[in-house]
Amino acid sequence: MSKHPDAYQLLTKIIHLSTSPLPIKNKLDQMLETINEALEADQTLLLRRENIVENGLLWRLALQKKPLWIEEESSLPKGVVDAKEKEFLRPPFACLPLYQNDTFQGTLYIGFPRNRTLSPQEMDLLVLITKEMAGAIELSHLQQKVGQTSSELTALHEMGKVATSTLKLEELLESIVKTGLKILKAKGGVLRIEDKTTKELKVQWSFGDYYHHPLDEKIAKRVFMTQTPFLLNHSGKDNPILSILCVPLRSKEGILGTLAFYDKETDPSKFDEGDFQLLLTMANQMSFAIENALTHYETSQLAWENEKRVRELTILWELSKALLTTINFDHIIEMTLTAITIGAGLGFNRAMLFMVNEKNRSLEGTMAVGPDNAEEAGRIWRYLSQQKGTLSDLVGQIHLPPEKDSTLNTIVRGIEIPLELEDCILSKAVLEGRPLNIQMPHSEEARIQSRCERGCHLGSEVGCYVGEQLGRDHKVYSFATVPLWGKGKVIGVILVDNLYNQNPITDEDIQILTMFSTQAGLAIENAILYRNLEDVHQRLKETQTFLVHQEKMAALGELSSTVAHEIRNPLVSIGGFARRLYRSIPEEAPEKRYTQTIMIEVSRLERILSDLLDYTRKESLTYGEVDLREILEESFSMASEKLSSGEIEFTKDYSEHLPKVMGDRRQLIQVFSNLFNNACEAMKGKGRFSLRVLPVVKNGSIFVRVEMEDTGSGIDPENLHNIFNPFYSTKESGLGLGLPFVYKIIASHRGQIEVDNRPGEGVTFIITLPATQEGEKK
Amino acid sequence: MKKILIVDDEESIRFLYSEELEEDGFSVEVAENGEEALEKVPTFKPDLITLDIKMPGMDGLETLKRIRELDRKLPIIMCSAYGEYKQDLTTWASDAYIVKCADLTELKTTIRKLLGLL
Repeated sequence: MSKHPDAYQLLTKIIHLSTSPLPIKNKLDQMLETINEALEADQTLLLRRENIVENGLLWRLALQKKPLWIEEESSLPKGVVDAKEKEFLRPPFACLPLYQNDTFQGTLYIGFPRNRTLSPQEMDLLVLITKEMAGAIELSHLQQKVGQTSSELTALHEMGKVATSTLKLEELLESIVKTGLKILKAKGGVLRIEDKTTKELKVQWSFGDYYHHPLDEKIAKRVFMTQTPFLLNHSGKDNPILSILCVPLRSKEGILGTLAFYDKETDPSKFDEGDFQLLLTMANQMSFAIENALTHYETSQLAWENEKRVRELTILWELSKALLTTINFDHIIEMTLTAITIGAGLGFNRAMLFMVNEKNRSLEGTMAVGPDNAEEAGRIWRYLSQQKGTLSDLVGQIHLPPEKDSTLNTIVRGIEIPLELEDCILSKAVLEGRPLNIQMPHSEEARIQSRCERGCHLGSEVGCYVGEQLGRDHKVYSFATVPLWGKGKVIGVILVDNLYNQNPITDEDIQILTMFSTQAGLAIENAILYRNLEDVHQRLKETQTFLVHQEKMAALGELSSTVAHEIRNPLVSIGGFARRLYRSIPEEAPEKRYTQTIMIEVSRLERILSDLLDYTRKESLTYGEVDLREILEESFSMASEKLSSGEIEFTKDYSEHLPKVMGDRRQLIQVFSNLFNNACEAMKGKGRFSLRVLPVVKNGSIFVRVEMEDTGSGIDPENLHNIFNPFYSTKESGLGLGLPFVYKIIASHRGQIEVDNRPGEGVTFIITLPATQEGEKK
Repeated sequence: MKKILIVDDEESIRFLYSEELEEDGFSVEVAENGEEALEKVPTFKPDLITLDIKMPGMDGLETLKRIRELDRKLPIIMCSAYGEYKQDLTTWASDAYIVKCADLTELKTTIRKLLGLL
């Protein structure tokens, strides 16, 4: 090996190595080897910047940017060489600091064997070599940097892809955090977004449990408020070193939230300026994506809500349409409750209706729809799911006959609750006019102790009547009540529950039920009004018929009275002279019988006239308190001749404590003896006659009811509507004034007469007379 | 012989009553309305009057009032086809009230009773 290395060859090798694709470490190792060999040195080292002792010889050398040649121990500058340096600095040696554009990269140290000298040419060559080495190091730095930037760009590109690939907010936020972790090589990340309604920052996605750290939220809030990025390397007691990098996520209009990363995976775990800048870039890029996703999320939320609203409105519309198909009260309430329970409608398990009774100030159970047990529930749901047609068709057409007599319906119909009963959930809904949703706790003990807002122990043994009647043992009983509004007042209350599927009743359920019950309330009120109108109309019709009848009677009475009087005088003379003739005619003469016939017929005509005049006479009644029992007994004794003559079996049944009635004793006797006579005639002397007298309550007033049942032939249905018309008789004898007379008297007593006709079997006349005030009190 | 005045607008009734009452031994005079009756009361001086109510001209009620003005004690029997006034008239004005009937038994009995013949 030559003492003077071929400078050209060495330089060529170094340049060749410098430009080779080897990794920088190998590159430098081979360069050092090459130098060592070419210069026949003992040791050639590259001391990295971080390995150079501060204020040592090499440090000073680096500051001076000068190469140094030391031939002997003695020529080492005194007091400068550090102890550590002394270990390897053995003269003769050369030291050359590596600089590239004022950046110190390290120092090349070459130790030589003793007595070796270094020519100025060799020194120049080494300076050139160090420049080349510095270039190689810088190039590798640059390459590394380019590589890093490129991987960062790739990461950003990935993030960009994520940002455009999904509009799903959660997915997007997840990939932002994950990509951030990858790019920054962080141990944890937290992404927060402001909740627009509560104006609070909420953690949307996090990796690691850094969001538990007390500093985390503080910093996030600060960054959010100031909209300024923040880098913290915290040294605390609990976490000796915590690095936090937090940046705001800014939108066009303002700030969306914050994105923070924690602790680098590398050692040290601090974030540097590069990380900071990178995260800022990332945040800016992602903010738009997040904003778009948020908008999309809100839009789809709105769309979903709208769709739901439309569906609810469609249901309501369908149900209302069904309600409009009828004004029949029973049908409307049945449809209302069916609509509430049908799956395609509001879908509650059971629904019960209680109507307000203004007069009694109470709530009365009116109707209930719902299965009695889970099996039945299943059966009905299956049946309904097979039905076709629109919801309104279903609600309008479906009648569930067994429901009418279901146990539930029977229970509900039996419930009557005073409106003033403060504890009750039902009366409360009416009095306060608002829906109440009662959720029972799941455990049995808690349930017994729980109270509704007014202190009603629902489901407990001593508690609420409704809860007791409708709940089941060992079952969670949650239910809700909704008032039924008419025009400006609550007319009833609907109680719903989900006893069988135990679905919770949500506030939304209550809301839609309230909307529906508003519709139903008006429909039901209309039906009630219509029913009242029909009642009034019916009563008017009856009154009109009665008045027409009365008027006809009056006219007829006047006419017959006049005619009767005109006939009476001629009858008196005809009969009178007939009697004279009769007396003067000898017994054996045939004329005797002729005149007798005239006398008899005149007598009959006179009797008819009396009857007629009795009927048409404007009676002055003498009213008084009378005992119907006495009157009936007296009427019996008047008719007893007929009653006891044949084989008529008769029974009398007077109820105890019969109230007295106001009436004209004489006329009432006429009424009853008339009816007894009729019965005897109808039975033709053979049959059974029963009399029953009892007090009854009708529309809150007390009446005495007299039932007279015979086993005669009954009344021919064709004649039934005429029996109270005067001069209408089917009897062979008589003028047909009996029943009209009875009718007239009972009507003037404010009583009622009913006929229960059983053609071929008999007839029952029922007379109802109002009791006196005295009797009513009793 | 007791004298009876029969007041009635019906010819047939007057005829029947007079035939019957004469046969029973009364002296009978007739009047066909209130005015005629009032004329005959002072001259005929009846012991008893049978008085129809519904008559053309002066009716029975007016006639009854006028006769009462002349003689408060004269027995008067109201005879009418109407039954309605029976209660009122028997209580305050007339001595008896009879609803006309072909059988004159009631009338005759009442006459005898009022004349003190029974």
